[in-house]
Amino acid sequence: MYFQKKRCIAMLLAGGQGSRLKVLTENTAKPAVPFGGKYRIIDFPLSNCVNSGIDTVGILTQYQPLELNEYIGNGQPWGLNKTHSCAQVLPPYERHDKKSGWYKGTANAIYQNIDFIERFDPEYVVVLGGDHIYKMDYSAMVDYHVKNGASCTIAVRNVSLEEASRFGIMNTNPDNSVYEFEEKPAQPKSTKASMGIYVFDWKVLREFLIADEEDPNSSNDFGKNIIPNLLNAGHKLMAYEFDGYWMDVGTIQSLWEANMDVLGKDPVFDLRGGKNATIYARNNALPSSYIDKDAKVVNCFIAEGSEVYGTVRHSIISIGCTIGENAIVEDSVVMPGVVIEPGAIVRHAILGENSRVGCNAIVGGAFKPKDKKKISVTSKGAVVEANTVLLPGDML
Amino acid sequence: MKVMGIIFANDGSLEGLTTHRTTASVPFGGRYRQVDFALSNLTAAGVRQVGIISRHHYQSLINHIGAGEEWGLELEEGGLEFLTPYAMSATDSYRGKLESLYAAMTFLTYGTEDAYVILTGSTILCNINMKDVLASHIASGKDITIVTKAGVANGKKQLDLAIKLDKKGEVADIAVDYAAPEGYLATMDIFVTSKKWLAEQVREHIARNLFHMDRDLVLGLWQKSEGSINVYQFPGVVLYNESVAEYFHNTLALIDTKTRHDLFGYNHPVYTRVRDRVPTFYGENSEATDIVLADGCMIGGKVTNSVLFRNVTVYPGAEVSDCVIMNDAVIGEGAELKYVILDKDVTVRPGAKLIGTPDNPVIITRGGLV
Repeated sequence: MYFQKKRCIAMLLAGGQGSRLKVLTENTAKPAVPFGGKYRIIDFPLSNCVNSGIDTVGILTQYQPLELNEYIGNGQPWGLNKTHSCAQVLPPYERHDKKSGWYKGTANAIYQNIDFIERFDPEYVVVLGGDHIYKMDYSAMVDYHVKNGASCTIAVRNVSLEEASRFGIMNTNPDNSVYEFEEKPAQPKSTKASMGIYVFDWKVLREFLIADEEDPNSSNDFGKNIIPNLLNAGHKLMAYEFDGYWMDVGTIQSLWEANMDVLGKDPVFDLRGGKNATIYARNNALPSSYIDKDAKVVNCFIAEGSEVYGTVRHSIISIGCTIGENAIVEDSVVMPGVVIEPGAIVRHAILGENSRVGCNAIVGGAFKPKDKKKISVTSKGAVVEANTVLLPGDML
Repeated sequence: MKVMGIIFANDGSLEGLTTHRTTASVPFGGRYRQVDFALSNLTAAGVRQVGIISRHHYQSLINHIGAGEEWGLELEEGGLEFLTPYAMSATDSYRGKLESLYAAMTFLTYGTEDAYVILTGSTILCNINMKDVLASHIASGKDITIVTKAGVANGKKQLDLAIKLDKKGEVADIAVDYAAPEGYLATMDIFVTSKKWLAEQVREHIARNLFHMDRDLVLGLWQKSEGSINVYQFPGVVLYNESVAEYFHNTLALIDTKTRHDLFGYNHPVYTRVRDRVPTFYGENSEATDIVLADGCMIGGKVTNSVLFRNVTVYPGAEVSDCVIMNDAVIGEGAELKYVILDKDVTVRPGAKLIGTPDNPVIITRGGLV
């Protein structure tokens, strides 16, 4: 078989459970969690790849992959199904030398797929996470990497000094070259937090992955092992500063916040296109949405296939939802296929896919900034029975 | 069961809406084009070979359908074929469906001879189970099946083909281009025959300079008692978009939940070309009621009893009621629109006023600035 040589390919780490999303990831990998009315989290890194001119993406899956695999399919929604492009799902597999099995860590996941990468004989490999909401041109980062003659470039964003001890921090020289990497430092020396986006020279990365695999004490992780090893060996590492919107949607709170950030006339995070900024998603054959004569919809997103008979304020209503008569939805994220029956009230909540809120039931309470963590959550397919209450901060 | 489909893309005209496009590619219902219904009806029934016969300005149609991947027709074997016109020896272009089928004879006779063919227009919209129609055709043992709708004939609407049945359900009368009185069934422009029979009929008719499907083939056969006709009656919602007034009325009919659910969920989903647009955003001071709309809109003003297509922007202070607003329209602050059809890419200046009537909506053609 003939494989076209690629200057740069991407490897997307999509195997994590996302346990901090609790009931939302009980049966679904985090990258497949719905976002913004019609998207899933993985649409962001995948669309970024396409918009950056990267047409070969390996997607490493492990935890609860059924829905994620179905969603990715042959990569057609992102235009990654052409003769010389692909969105290749790479699950863990069994090998004759026993150096296989479950992905032990982020670096091991890439190690196990060296053969996939080698087919394209790339100069550079971009390694991405599948759990962030952002728009970024990776090609600009690759150019920066090449211009600086680095072996590895790590995207960083400036965080506050208080926040810095929650992140992997890059300590840099004035020219942005990295002299030290500290994982969650108690006394941070810098505020440049790693975004988990790396550009590697493939030859260098390959050598370090193989060496890392030989080390029985390694946890086979990019942050803990590969990056420090590269630094110790004297390789040049660069920090690439990114100041656009970026949100780690790893918690219920941050997932809710990121969804709210897309709302408004001038949203904090603009989902709309613009040149090379369209976010692509797998589309369903759903009819146009419908807003009834008694409905009231204000400051909200309402996606196709939804029917609104009640009131919606400051919320995301995803594809294929029904909001019944006299129902009220406020400050909430309503995921695809949810039914809110007549008279129900939903406030400050995330309703998981295909969940149902019965007639006159109450979910959550009024949003108060001081209680911003008290988000009520329903899991996929859960039913809040009619005339019952799901308290603020409770999960079903 | 081998069955192929043929869609006629240019039937009739919708005035300004079909100046630059086929009737098949006229946008409908917020995110569709009319041909999506015929295509989805065919492919939902497992038809994997579809020919589309077009006569003129079919650029937008080809753009929309592409290789047919949205309908699962991007296939190695069969799939989608555009049967675009070429001048006939005797005429400049096709004069009727039989003549266009004659030109498409290679397509029609390709493959097994015992297969069936479903012929469908693209301006009469419905969500029909073609497997049922085909089963009825086969069970009847007749030469041709005509799909019809009761309750359309009213003595005023001109029907392409009107059929009256006797008490036993046999054909008692057939009339063409006739404002039939109540009690007649109206054709839905969907026919089923065997390929072999149709090919024979096309050859025989063209040889005698007869080219009109309804008049020469159906009426002719019946009058001469040379063919047998099975009549299938469809119970679901059918929208006849044969004039601008009908198109306008039927588009706004989608606001009725029963009509909408019937048309989009009766038998199968309706597929269309995907455009990646963000969900529609409703602003802080928007008032939106009784509307059907696609993704990508920004609603800042007041919109009632209307259908909006993708990417429409309604600025705060604008008022839109009883309108059909196609893709990418921008309606400026303080503008007022009532009984208006805006074709694609129209810009309405702030403060502009456009008022039509229910039977004579104002049409602003593609790319207009008012």
